[in-house]
Order: sequence, then structure tokens, then C-alpha cells
Amino acid sequence: MTDIHGNRLKIALVASSGGHLSQLLKLRDAWQGHDVFYIVTTDVVKEKLGADKRVYVSGECNRQNIFRVANVFLRSARAIRCERPDVVLSTGAAVGCLSCFVGKWFGARVVWVDSITNVNRMSLSGRMVRYITDLCLVQWPSLAQKYKRAEYVGNII
Amino acid sequence: MIFLTVGTQFPFDRLIKAVDEAVGCDGEEVFAQIGMSSYEPLNFRAVVSLDKDQFDRYFREASGIIGHAGMGTISLALEWNKPLLVLPRRKKYGEVVNDHQVGIAQKFEELGHLLAAYEAEDLRKKMRGLSQFVPRSRQTQSEAVAGRIAAFLREVPQIG
Repeated sequence: MTDIHGNRLKIALVASSGGHLSQLLKLRDAWQGHDVFYIVTTDVVKEKLGADKRVYVSGECNRQNIFRVANVFLRSARAIRCERPDVVLSTGAAVGCLSCFVGKWFGARVVWVDSITNVNRMSLSGRMVRYITDLCLVQWPSLAQKYKRAEYVGNII
Repeated sequence: MIFLTVGTQFPFDRLIKAVDEAVGCDGEEVFAQIGMSSYEPLNFRAVVSLDKDQFDRYFREASGIIGHAGMGTISLALEWNKPLLVLPRRKKYGEVVNDHQVGIAQKFEELGHLLAAYEAEDLRKKMRGLSQFVPRSRQTQSEAVAGRIAAFLREVPQIG
């Protein structure tokens, strides 16, 4: 199946468990007709996504444990190296940020949607990744004014 | 009955203790999923985790929900139109890596979507109003955002 332009892309959909993933899944209309695979942080969400999906599990990390960050980085890098997506699309958090950088390295376009929980400034991941994004969306109008590359279309949750 | 949920990933003893103390004074009926928390409540029944069906049933049947200010809890409460009281996890107590939960709690409280207590001491007072609280429903623009991304994708050339 292709979209109206006959342009079927391979897209990496990346999100941490919880709110990040629920926000990502609200956007499912965006990738209709494209070939997608997921990078998520925990095994339990595999079930939520459905058995027919290609899902890579990276493990959880945050900035306080550099070894875990390295592990998540390696696992997401492996998934991206094997799949070679045309686009990496992420709602965060750390795993999304890392995957965007890896994807960029392999020539993918990067789409970042900053989580709605970041009200007064973009997430740390978002602030790092915004320089390499091809599309950077935020969910509060004030953030689009604050960050040059960020665009506000609306909120997704 | 009020359903208290703190998620199964990270402990949140400060919230459970605050609810326990409030229940000790005011005697509300509470049931809780406390996950990795180590504080054991004296005044209400608690389990470590519930499977998804059980969780949904408690959530749906509760007169009110108490939880952290995580987007999972907040969006579920809005979806089922449940009165929600949140205590944001704080960096200063080592509960989370930054204070984003305070920001989202303030914003959503301001918009009438939930009640918030910002310190454990405020929780008891806020709990008294919980069952009567009518949350304002939330309009989202997820279709517009998905449409913006779809439009972007139409312009992307394939690498392969």
C-alpha cells in the first residue's frame, strides 16, 4: 500500500513506555500506508502494540545512569542499523533522542514531537535533538515562540 | 471508593503515606495499586500490581482517582471523565529527574481538568473535594498534528 504520491517510507516509531507512547499512538493516522517498526523501552508494551508489529525493546534509561544510557543507545542503534528507516519519528524520551541521532547518522529524516508535559520549556531530549530535526513539533504555543525550530500545530492529548 | 494508583515502575511513598494519613483522619474508602513503593498503608487495602482488566475496572468504578501527575494517569482520567487529584513527583525528593510534573499539574489544574496538591500536607484538604469535582473535558487536536506529520512525510524521499 502506498500513499497518494506512491511514496512508501520506512519509519521508526520510538517512545518510552507510558505517556510518551500513548502520545505517539494518538498520531497513528500520520503513518498510514507506510512501513513502520517500533522501538520501545519495555517488553510489556509489545502486547499493547499488537502481535503483528515489528517491535524492538531497548530497555529503560535516564540521564543519571550512563551505563543504561549506553545500553539503550546500542540497542536502538542496532535496530536502526538493521532497518535503515527513511524517517525516525519520536515523542521522547531518552530512547527517542538517542534514536534520532542514530537515525540522522544513517541519513534518516527526523521528526520530534515534544511531550505535552513540557509546559515551560522543551524536554532535555527535545532541546538536544531540535538542531537535527526536519520537523519539530511542540504542544504549547509559547514553546514555539521560545524555540526557533519548533512549530505548534495543536496538542495531541 | 477512591482508587489510588502510583504506577508499577517507580515507588511513590510520599503519596501513599499522605493518603494513609488523610484516610486515618477522614475515613474515606480507598483501594490502591502501590507498585514498588515500600510504605505499607495502615488504613486502606493495597496491592502491588493489577492486571490491565482489573486496573481498568477499579479505575472506572472509582468515585475519584488519586495519582502522580503522569500523563498516563491524567489522560485515562480525562478519557473516563473521572475526578482526579494529583501530587506531582518532585526532583527535590528524588522521585523523578526533573520537575515537569509540577508544570503539567499547574497547567491542567488551571484548565479545570484536575485537582492538584503540590505538597503532601495539602493532600488531605484537596481530597475532601475530590468526589464532587467535575473535570472539564479536554479538546485535543491530534488529527491536525497527525495531518501535519503526514504532509511532511509526503515530501520525504526514500533513502533506499
